[in-house]
Amino acid sequence: MSELRKKSPADLSAKLAGETRYLHDLNFPGQLVGAIYRSPYAHARILSINVERAKQVEGVAAVLTADDLPSYKYGPTKFKDWNLLAKDRVLFIGDEIVAIAAETKEAAQRALELVEVEFEPLPGVFDPEDSLKPGAPLLHEDVESNKPMQVSVSRGDLEEGKRKAAVVKGGRYYSNRVYQGHLEPVGAIASWSDEEGITIWAPSHIPYRARETYAAGFGLPEDKVRIIVPPIGGSFGAKYVLKVHVIAAALAMAARRHVKIILDRYEDMITAHPRVPLTFDIEIGADEEGRFVYKELTVYADAGARVYWSPNVVSTVCTRADNIYHFGSVKSEGYLCYTNNSPTTCMRGFGNAEMLFAVESVIDEIALELNMDPAELRLKNIVHQGDTTLHGYRLDTCKLDECIEKVKELSGWHRRASLPPYRGLGLAVANHVSGFRAIDPRFDGSTAVIRLKQDGGIEVETGEIELGQGMSLTYARIASKILGIPEEAILVKSGDTGRYPFGIGTLASRSTVMGGNAVQKAAQSLAARLKELARETLGEAADFREGAAVLEGQTYSLSELASWYRARHAGEELEIKETYVPDTDLPDATYFGHPSPNYPFAAHVAEVEVDPDTGRTKVIGYWAVHDSGTIIHETMAKGQVLGAIAQGVGWVTMEDLLVKDGKVMNPSMMDYRMPGANDMPKAEVFFIQGKDPNGPLGAKSIGEVALDPVPGAIANAIAHATGKRGYALPLSAEKVWKSLQNT
Amino acid sequence: MSAGQQDGNFKLNLNGQEVVWSGEPAASLADVIREQQGLTGTKIGCRTGECGACTVLLEGRPVVSCLIPAASVQGQQVETIEGLARLEEFQSLMAAMQENGGVQCGFCTPGVMVTTWAWLQNPALFNGDLGSALKNNLCRCTGYLGIIRSAEQVLAGRGAGV
Repeated sequence: MSELRKKSPADLSAKLAGETRYLHDLNFPGQLVGAIYRSPYAHARILSINVERAKQVEGVAAVLTADDLPSYKYGPTKFKDWNLLAKDRVLFIGDEIVAIAAETKEAAQRALELVEVEFEPLPGVFDPEDSLKPGAPLLHEDVESNKPMQVSVSRGDLEEGKRKAAVVKGGRYYSNRVYQGHLEPVGAIASWSDEEGITIWAPSHIPYRARETYAAGFGLPEDKVRIIVPPIGGSFGAKYVLKVHVIAAALAMAARRHVKIILDRYEDMITAHPRVPLTFDIEIGADEEGRFVYKELTVYADAGARVYWSPNVVSTVCTRADNIYHFGSVKSEGYLCYTNNSPTTCMRGFGNAEMLFAVESVIDEIALELNMDPAELRLKNIVHQGDTTLHGYRLDTCKLDECIEKVKELSGWHRRASLPPYRGLGLAVANHVSGFRAIDPRFDGSTAVIRLKQDGGIEVETGEIELGQGMSLTYARIASKILGIPEEAILVKSGDTGRYPFGIGTLASRSTVMGGNAVQKAAQSLAARLKELARETLGEAADFREGAAVLEGQTYSLSELASWYRARHAGEELEIKETYVPDTDLPDATYFGHPSPNYPFAAHVAEVEVDPDTGRTKVIGYWAVHDSGTIIHETMAKGQVLGAIAQGVGWVTMEDLLVKDGKVMNPSMMDYRMPGANDMPKAEVFFIQGKDPNGPLGAKSIGEVALDPVPGAIANAIAHATGKRGYALPLSAEKVWKSLQNT
Repeated sequence: MSAGQQDGNFKLNLNGQEVVWSGEPAASLADVIREQQGLTGTKIGCRTGECGACTVLLEGRPVVSCLIPAASVQGQQVETIEGLARLEEFQSLMAAMQENGGVQCGFCTPGVMVTTWAWLQNPALFNGDLGSALKNNLCRCTGYLGIIRSAEQVLAGRGAGV
């Protein structure tokens, strides 16, 4: 039965043997190559488009401009500012104007070169704060002052908090534009038929939401759009919803052939939808004993030219960290701003990791001022099991205090006072969610189908998506534990909106808890049904346990049970569908609510060595302690944490997608440096085991909380090593060196 | 190398077999392997030799096949992930990678496996540890430690006669 699992595209042995077929590896008969003519201007009026010469190129099958396409305003969130192709105006360098499908890449390239577009350049705006100033060029005519969204959160008496404060620390922090750095470049294949409508092969981990978005773009009913998700070669948030998907679809409709578009790395990076850059003005006050009394925040977020998922990131920035400490009172103002930069979107950590960089930095400053141990200051202010947080999160489980104690022990925190010069230890903590109700207020649960196959294997279908995080292995393990059968007998399938149950999408760290609960529920129902089946067939004394029916010492395998079922049900297979509906409350207009079934926590310590001659930081040790409830698959969970540490090391010490006047200055993997094997520190990962009542087998999420504390921990370690606080990520060698010169 | 040839026929020794391909001599080895030979285990991540997803073995040494003109390797041994996966000892590396969390999304994995395999054959070739050998293989998921541990485990197991 081990062969069963091997069929899954998520199977690790298939990946290791090079058998897994990603989007790039799929081809269809008669498939065309798609290409996109993009704006060279950050902001310009389109005076004319002439594609006549492009159409004459031999091998060109379709050339599309906005005039050939529907012009609905659509978009993945409630801000509908997308178009299929630009009509009158372009809003960023890389904005899509003309789409071409041709027999070969060369023909498509020749046609691109013959497209003639006349532009009238317009002044652009590139800084989110500037974009709100009077007289700034307006990006979207129907949105007043480039501000599609403003978040205002206020809880408690801020003025009273300010009166009580004995120490106030803060300043202006800045989180950078981080490229998700997926190894597999962005792409899509699309086809069209009158009966089926649009089919898109796209490595999106929110395919149902993408279906809804794309259907709206073409004015089609949702069931005329089907998204099939091939194995995903890395996303970290970059591959939710993308214009390249709809452009491939538009070309397929026009040419009535399959169209494949794979962006090369340059094109991927100039039009990348990186992490939303944020400018924070933050202040935290504490009384003489170190108890926090207020936190005040104003944040400007660069949405770029069009809204992808940045609004949700801003809401998270303005609320999430307030649920980790008892701040007493908080006030946050968040401004999402349009600029003529390429659109930005989510990346692992989703606003929380960025905010925690600033919060954890400020808390270390307070500790320094109060002459307190930073770990003690945190222990004094953190939330605990049984608490309801400032914004309403109900913490049925929380072992953050244990995480802090354990990470101190593992890292040798007591060494902190006696480290040699330019060595530092920094600590940071984090929380996260396991799914988030407001991602889709209509429904936030998950559905699983479980099926007994004729050979005795079990198939699980889910609406959640495997993107390398280990979801399929986790679900197989959940079903295996419930049914008492080997994991190898279980095949987990997902990633086709035409076949598998509906899912919100694999974001907000929801796969283990939301999807896992659905799988657990379905497996429990199947176990009960199999018991019934055993009795129906063998008699009342029969039982079902450990993967077999049992009667008087005789066992009957799952394969036999499958045959009995078929015989009694006209050849049908035994199949059960269960939906998990989480007991969450949608945050209200003031952002108060209980949005997730449970909340994971973590405490991390980083050790760094800074070279005073160059400013270069080397992370030399890392300790990560997590409360993620019961760990279902330790290898994959640990892999999530280690991967997050590497991403954090990159984020804090080297990565920055540089943009000047809307132009990406380092659009290659040579110039945008990501961590390699030798940048990774020695790291120790420890899980404080527990059992959350709301998670499958007691589990909470791990994927994002693993990254959340990393920037803060490394930044604090650098400050400890150098005595200088870094306010703007990345804390590159140049910036650290400069701070060392300012004595 | 048959310089100056245009759209000719070329011989390639791929995974121990001689194959003939036709096309532009400057076509990248990665494209020829993937498109003409259908061996899609070799991935293309950047086409600039930075990410290492396209790593194959050329005469036993890992190279980034996206930068190598296919015609320039005539007569030399090229091994891809598909060729290596057939070897028995490769299975122990695969098992170790699963056990130690050396693989997640899998896109960089074939390239990582090819480099790691070459290191296992001859660690001295890389003047140092596996971390240095992997300097041309980016992995965005695993944090590398699982990969390194897997390779060390296979090396240690071999030393113990496993």
